[in-house]
Amino acid sequence: MTDPVTLGIIALVALVLLIAIRIPIAYSMILVGGVGIALVNGPQLLLSQLKTLAYGQFSIYDLSVVPMFILMGELAIVAGLSQALFRGANAWLGWMRGGTAMAAIAGCAGFGAVCGSSLATASTMGKVALPELRRYNYDGSLATGALAAGGVLGILIPPSVVLIVYAVIVEANIVTMFAAALIPGILAVILFILTIAIVVLIKPDAGPPGGAATRADFVQATLGLIPVMVIFGIVLGGIYAGYFNPTPAAAVGVFLVAIYALARGELRLSTMTEALKNTARTSGMIYLILLGAELMKIFMSRIGLPQQAASWIAESGMAPMLVMMLLLLALILLGCLMDSLSMILLVIPFFWPMLVEINGGAMATAETSAYGMSTDDLKVWFGILALIVVELGLITPPVGMNVFIISALARDIPMIETFKGVLPFFVTELIRVGLLLLFPALTLWLPSVIGG
Amino acid sequence: MAFDEAQTRSGAAAAVAQAVTAWALLGGVVLLGIVVINVLSVAGGIVGTTFPGDFELTEMGIAIAVFAFLPYCQLMDANVTADIFTSGLPERRVAALRALAALIAMAFAAILLWRMYLGMLDQKTYNYMTTILQVPVWWAFVPILVSLALLIAASIISLAENAGEARR
Amino acid sequence: QEHVFKLHHFLGANAPAQTDMLEPWARQVEENSGGSVKIEIYPSMTLGGRPPELINQARDGVVDLIWTVNGYTPGLFPRTEVIELPFVYENDPAAANLALADMYDEYLAEDYKGVEPMFLHVHAGQGIQTVETEVRSPADAEGLSLRIPTRTGAWVIEQLGATPISMPVPDLPQALSKKVVDGALIPWEIIPALKIQDQTQYQIEGHDKTRFGTTTFQVSMNKARWDSLPEDVQTAFRDASDRDWLAEVGQIWRDIDERGIQVAVDAGNEHITLTEEETAAFQESLEPVVQRWIDDVSGQGIDGEAMVEEARRLIGENASGSGS
Ligand code: NA
Ligand code: NA
Repeated sequence: MTDPVTLGIIALVALVLLIAIRIPIAYSMILVGGVGIALVNGPQLLLSQLKTLAYGQFSIYDLSVVPMFILMGELAIVAGLSQALFRGANAWLGWMRGGTAMAAIAGCAGFGAVCGSSLATASTMGKVALPELRRYNYDGSLATGALAAGGVLGILIPPSVVLIVYAVIVEANIVTMFAAALIPGILAVILFILTIAIVVLIKPDAGPPGGAATRADFVQATLGLIPVMVIFGIVLGGIYAGYFNPTPAAAVGVFLVAIYALARGELRLSTMTEALKNTARTSGMIYLILLGAELMKIFMSRIGLPQQAASWIAESGMAPMLVMMLLLLALILLGCLMDSLSMILLVIPFFWPMLVEINGGAMATAETSAYGMSTDDLKVWFGILALIVVELGLITPPVGMNVFIISALARDIPMIETFKGVLPFFVTELIRVGLLLLFPALTLWLPSVIGG
Repeated sequence: MAFDEAQTRSGAAAAVAQAVTAWALLGGVVLLGIVVINVLSVAGGIVGTTFPGDFELTEMGIAIAVFAFLPYCQLMDANVTADIFTSGLPERRVAALRALAALIAMAFAAILLWRMYLGMLDQKTYNYMTTILQVPVWWAFVPILVSLALLIAASIISLAENAGEARR
Repeated sequence: QEHVFKLHHFLGANAPAQTDMLEPWARQVEENSGGSVKIEIYPSMTLGGRPPELINQARDGVVDLIWTVNGYTPGLFPRTEVIELPFVYENDPAAANLALADMYDEYLAEDYKGVEPMFLHVHAGQGIQTVETEVRSPADAEGLSLRIPTRTGAWVIEQLGATPISMPVPDLPQALSKKVVDGALIPWEIIPALKIQDQTQYQIEGHDKTRFGTTTFQVSMNKARWDSLPEDVQTAFRDASDRDWLAEVGQIWRDIDERGIQVAVDAGNEHITLTEEETAAFQESLEPVVQRWIDDVSGQGIDGEAMVEEARRLIGENASGSGS
């Protein structure tokens, strides 16, 4: 009853069992964490802590951007920003072989800049781009695969819910994390577009060129990009430049998107209600998982598991880079079963203290550390790598939420085709992870320039 | 504007569903209020005035709003599940598992309601308040307790509906 | 060990508060107990919750011991706030710690229902740290937006005609660098951890290290746990928290603070020490804050005026060098 590793394994098995019998992940964590604390330290301790724990977690200031960015994404859907983005991108790229799929990727990236969720990005851009891809007789596998993969950009391009949650857990600066994600995010867009180019090079019929737009259409479609650019510029530009902190910035973003939707005549009581309901579902789901993760964390701390695991890894004498790669591999494997947010919440409170130990403590500097960077930099670098690999879970079988969403939109294309179509993008993502592992500057350069 | 969530239900279940949805929308209005406060704060910063206490109102308001969302999440079955292992099961079995999940949600909501009620009394007794506006913190607990009561009600509905389906 | 205690706090394991104060104190208690006591320190809120919940955790027995900032839960410690007031606290953390101990039974005990304080202490005091504004008179601070330290600290800022801003501590460097705030009312001690020296140009304090108020901290134990302890164990705690220790804690926070200002000075910042006359101008300007506090607590039936007088007297009496 005292060995932390045994207790930890029992808890983990219980958690997996509960999740496997379709108990919501949040409640599985609440149950295992809560019962675990009650068994180890007595029920009274748990009951006492529950008097304020939930209020404390739900009122974390840094998390307040989460419901705001979700609302901003919902209002962006109402405002029809996704159509405008795709049409604009297609005017520029659509004439090429594979161009319409590339435009879908670019549209996903643009939408990702105002939306913090992969699922919302996949489903909105899917609705907009799929009909066009069909019109030009795209191969079903490429069309759905590109959209499922493109959805991932919703979270890889800031703002990003998962990144905010990661920053809150490891106490990183959200602005720094957003800055760090930008270049890797742009890299993803470029690599995804290159992937499409290679696919159509091998299989030209997969992505026939679309017709060239008329001059008037081209101009109109391009002008349609301006509102998104302006909103993106003000919100994220304002954050990067430091003119406001993330929460006020998110509020300004909600306000601007709402004004735009109003100006387009799309913001009515009915659409607003729908946006608020969707925000309620997503935010409530996220915060409940947060509470579950906090209970799991308390249980694990109380049995002393993180300390134990960290010292075990330290004693095993594994090379630091190998440890990092194993951690990322574990996240990819876990991603086959779990959603990205639950994974970050469940796993990072373990992995992060371990990496701190390996790196030589919280105050380690670049000269003395195992990873050749200060622990503050490691926090940022690891965060971006972890973000990418947990998001891969959205496109890997058997549970790949983005694939499910796109499949639901394209019922005539078998899901296996979509998974096949996603494969090249998955490989591309592994290449990108490799690049970021080899060249930490890709992640760390921009935050260092922005400072703070 | 009718709430779709109520339409497929009848009697008490429909009333609860309607209340839960309306409560979530009220939470949404609180969220919009927080948005407005922060926008005013930014706008004030530009012209040189400020909105004192925007920070603490944001903390408090978001907590109130998110608690108000929880019953709606339960009602809409919005909490993430891993369906992979149960996707092969007949619908009846899955309904039984959903009923089990609803039972857990109900028990948790009941415990939390009880504990946060005591938490509220603590906040009141010891005079917890916010730093600048000196708003008593227990005020925030009142709507939160309503949210938890609605979460119990929503869980009972999903429990009853899924248990019914499982026995079919 | 027969008696194991979990001590929970919000800062990291490498923070000077843990390495220089909590660890030496815990080791002293253990030593005093002849090995029957063990104190396990849990930094960074590892046992769950947010920093404002620490006090409930001690009161409800979720943990045995906590170190927390009184100001995280405004409203809970109205009496103890007296020591935080500008020009009640001036420049001597050791004297303030001793004054808190002297006032505890008669004036402060009511604030600590459900917990047994091991010791109360202050930091070296709030200085004015600004991005680009040289503040030498109260008028210079007018119109600035400054991050607040505590409730009474917010009053100091308001009284100077500046705007009090709240934000999470980690957001401060960014906010300073982009002038979302013009500065902050915080001690030098925070400078190295947040690299404030890079974002500010001026560190301003009064004559002879006089500051503009301070912040109170407590190390407290769950009351029931305390009452259940045998007398010799209680003595082990009390002896580790005696008057020598309180004076030493004052010196520890003075030293941490000195290290902080040194970092700023080394980085080329201007460390302004006001003249006696300039300091007096601030004292005159900030006197209404003391009155505001007196009025505020009198609503709760507390004789604020007597407490201010007593605090000033005891701080004077305990001033370093006068012996105690
Ligand atoms: Na995004
Ligand atoms: Na997956």
